[in-house]
Amino acid sequence: MKKKLLSLLLSVGMITSLLSGCGVSTNTGSAAQTESSSTAAAETGETAETETKTETASTGKEVQITWMFWDDLEATEDLITKGYKEVIDRFNNDYAGTYHVNVITTNLEEYDTKLNALIAAKDTPDLFICNPGPNLTQYVDAGVAADLTDILTNQEKDWYNSFSGGIFERITYDGKIMAVPTNFAAACVFYNTEIFEAAGVKAPSTYEELLSACQKIKEAGYTPISCSAGTAWCLSMVAGYLCDRVGGPDNLQKIADHQMEWTDPTFIDAGNKLKELSQYFQATAAGDSNDQATAAFYNGEAAMLIQGSWVIGQVNGNNPDFEPKCGVFQFPAVTGGADPNRMIVKTDNLVMSSTTENPDAVIALMKYFTDETAQKYTAEIGGKIPVVNNVEIDYTKAPAQLSYVQDILANMTGTFGFYNESLASVEAGDVFDNAMVDIFLGNTTSDEAFQKVQSFYEKNVWK
Amino acid sequence: MEKILKDKKAIVIFIAPAFILFTFVLFIPIIQVFYYSLCDYNALTKPEFVGLKNYINLFTDDETMRTALKNSLFFMIFSAVSQQITGLLLAVLLTNIKHGRNFFKNIYYLPCVLSSAALGLLWAFMFNPKMGINQMLAYFGIEGPMWLSSTKGFIVLPMWVIACVALWQYVGTTMMLYIAQISGISKELYEASYIDGASKAQTFRYLTLPLVKPMMTISLSLNCIGSLKFFDLVYNMTQGGPNHSTDVLATHLYMQGFQYFKYGYASSISVVLLILCLIVSFLINKFIKAETYES
Amino acid sequence: MMNKSKRPVSPISIIIYIVLLLLVAVYLTPLLWMVNVSLKTNAEVFSSPFGMPEVLQLGNYIFAWTKGYLGRAMFNSLIVCVIALIVSMFLGSMASFAIARMKWKLSGLAMTYFMIGMMVPVHCVLIPLFVRFSNLGLTNSLAGLILPYITFSLPMTIFLMVGFFKGMPREMFEAACIDGCNIYQCYFRIAIPLSKTGMSVAALMTFVGNWNELLLAMVFISDTTKKTLPVTLTYFVGPYSTNYVQMFAAVIIAIAPTILVYCMFSNQIVDGLTAGAVKG
Repeated sequence: MKKKLLSLLLSVGMITSLLSGCGVSTNTGSAAQTESSSTAAAETGETAETETKTETASTGKEVQITWMFWDDLEATEDLITKGYKEVIDRFNNDYAGTYHVNVITTNLEEYDTKLNALIAAKDTPDLFICNPGPNLTQYVDAGVAADLTDILTNQEKDWYNSFSGGIFERITYDGKIMAVPTNFAAACVFYNTEIFEAAGVKAPSTYEELLSACQKIKEAGYTPISCSAGTAWCLSMVAGYLCDRVGGPDNLQKIADHQMEWTDPTFIDAGNKLKELSQYFQATAAGDSNDQATAAFYNGEAAMLIQGSWVIGQVNGNNPDFEPKCGVFQFPAVTGGADPNRMIVKTDNLVMSSTTENPDAVIALMKYFTDETAQKYTAEIGGKIPVVNNVEIDYTKAPAQLSYVQDILANMTGTFGFYNESLASVEAGDVFDNAMVDIFLGNTTSDEAFQKVQSFYEKNVWK
Repeated sequence: MEKILKDKKAIVIFIAPAFILFTFVLFIPIIQVFYYSLCDYNALTKPEFVGLKNYINLFTDDETMRTALKNSLFFMIFSAVSQQITGLLLAVLLTNIKHGRNFFKNIYYLPCVLSSAALGLLWAFMFNPKMGINQMLAYFGIEGPMWLSSTKGFIVLPMWVIACVALWQYVGTTMMLYIAQISGISKELYEASYIDGASKAQTFRYLTLPLVKPMMTISLSLNCIGSLKFFDLVYNMTQGGPNHSTDVLATHLYMQGFQYFKYGYASSISVVLLILCLIVSFLINKFIKAETYES
Repeated sequence: MMNKSKRPVSPISIIIYIVLLLLVAVYLTPLLWMVNVSLKTNAEVFSSPFGMPEVLQLGNYIFAWTKGYLGRAMFNSLIVCVIALIVSMFLGSMASFAIARMKWKLSGLAMTYFMIGMMVPVHCVLIPLFVRFSNLGLTNSLAGLILPYITFSLPMTIFLMVGFFKGMPREMFEAACIDGCNIYQCYFRIAIPLSKTGMSVAALMTFVGNWNELLLAMVFISDTTKKTLPVTLTYFVGPYSTNYVQMFAAVIIAIAPTILVYCMFSNQIVDGLTAGAVKG
């Protein structure tokens, strides 16, 4: 009897200690939290120069919105990201007391993961950045993205008119504009003028000239082209250009409508050309990452780099001596092929949540991303191309390569996206990328590789 | 004694907190995953019940799944064998040496405490076609292979490379478990065996080995389960590429769920993974127990 | 190792030492390379990845520390991991004790139940877990991270501790019972002290696992001031290029506390060893 009583007592003791144990743990948790937030406040006070002052001045009235982005604003060396940080700081400063934007950052890899989790929990950020193509389509189809057509074309006509023509093309769904671009980049061929001189070649304008230039550069003892197949989209960008140069400009639309097969001779031909061109890649292309391939170019080992214009900042940042000897030309034409003045471009887009409670604040913020200061920064420092046409850009301040890119853009007749971002789904884009890698590695012939894309489409897209 | 150990109230008190927490935080989501695996679900809109469609696709129509399954099983077998042998060997050596035991043990365990993202970057550099190990080989006039991008063979070279890096990184854990177990063996037993004139090899065979057998079940299960759901190094070193040839179950699941927005499909992969883990740990328990009865 | 020369050494032990030292080289070379990289410039990493840095770039460390908010992140990580460690060890060892030593029909089933938690990859429960926590208002707080960490640590802790508890001699408990100990005293006075070695291993694995956990921390925490170390380490991997040098500098800073905790626990294991084991 006594024993039983004792055990009962002890068990009560156990429970209380347990509860208090739990209590203590949660308490410390929240205590730590308040502590951390208070020290955070103190810290912001100390570093008032870098942080915006709005945090201390926050009142009950201030409207809080969130913006989600795929790179950290502080620790980055990416110039575009630094520009975004300035936009956010400027916005928070100017609207102190009215609006305040809080930034949620992730790394690129976990971006979709976190965004999806937030959306699933009905906690969508008011504004978030998004790639064009199937990624955006997902959010549009799910009703996550707000329709901006009315706002742009009616309420904010001046703003809408400030954008360059055609910029909304790839982010319009059934006539509805679903996003606002902040900058765009165009894929070109960057080349090392010194190596070209040493090898005695000029910037090629046709595919045949490109091949012979590569041959001469190789004979002169340099790597002709630096390309990363380890990062599949880099290789797939070259493939995309070839596909377009051979069989463009409507091939992608026809594929989407199933008026054309992936086994079309133009695609096979492009695949064969990719294989042909790849013999001039650096020996380690199969394993090199994007960073490594780019480094081989700015360290003067390779003569050419086929990349988006965002690479300008990276090249000049890592090797400032390289700027004067870096030239740019557009991806060469294929004789007997399609229009050679079309370019692969990619915009960074802002998507407004369809459930945002403060559309006014969000629109104000979007305007800051596309206003003169931000767009001037984009061009002059960030090395990307502005999306608005009313900005005077001082090209003497901008990286030299950017003005070459602009010259090419002046003759541009049309744009298309990265192939992997222009197909039916993210998965379809991956299938295409991997088919190109397979061609490059010599695992399959061009026929077999495109047959794979074809069968993926037959199974999943053209049902 | 019996009565005390059968005290229902005490059992409840001991097990309830963990049980409640586990059920609410982890088990209910697992049940939800089971449900999602029967749905078309992209995590953005409401799930739509489609029955066994995901499972049927998984086994009849998904080439990557076959690769992933093959790679995961390879990885599990390789890790289990290599880690058990190396881990036990290191543990025995370290418990028997006179000097620097702590030093060696700390060094071997060091990679376990490092973030796998950083280690992934580090090893990607080491196995780069022209840098790192190949640079060293070139010094001896050997042309090194494409460590992380070769796609030849039944089990591609990158899988072997990743498996070896995983051995490097995680063998410390197995070693540590064995050290803990061996250090639990009382020293009188060893002294007695030496007095009886047993050699070190004999002591190992007849004393250490049987006594660490319970730990073998545990660490083998941990090895197998851990390597079946292995994600970090693969994702950080090859991202499953080139062309999905190094995909394992967990990376396939991740790609499907978070890159392709097929969360329902990804859920069905995780159910398969769960069942595999259950089968494997059942087999381990059964196999090792049976062996204990034999000897 | 200093006094090795004084005594005659058997050739076998020389071989053993050579093997062990070779292994040390295998282990340390990549890590030393990481230190080397952390003292270079990004351009140097690509131009001569294995050469020595021309000028020691100590600025990388300063940059990593200030821009990566490493101090704050380390503080957050410590709070989260230490609390998760203590609670999960406590709850886990209690449950293991009941499973391993007490007699009830469902103990085997309970074990399997907990083990299921070990077999599920974290990615697949992420969305349902996040939605639950979000509904409870627990996201974006350290408490909201501690709870899942405790729970994810439980299966492993239980699995290990059951093993260690089962390995204890039955006589110990019988003797204690005869002396009038009740079941709680058995747990606190016998089971816990005797399983110190096992607990250290379990604690070490729990701590290290949580310390390096990235996905949950990334998804659950949005506030910069509440982010944990692994999350801040990813700051240096940008969308188009990676900031290798500062990333590795940050990694090196981030290892330091783990090594400290690790030495604390692991020496516990070796203490047990020297007290209980071999004499060669």
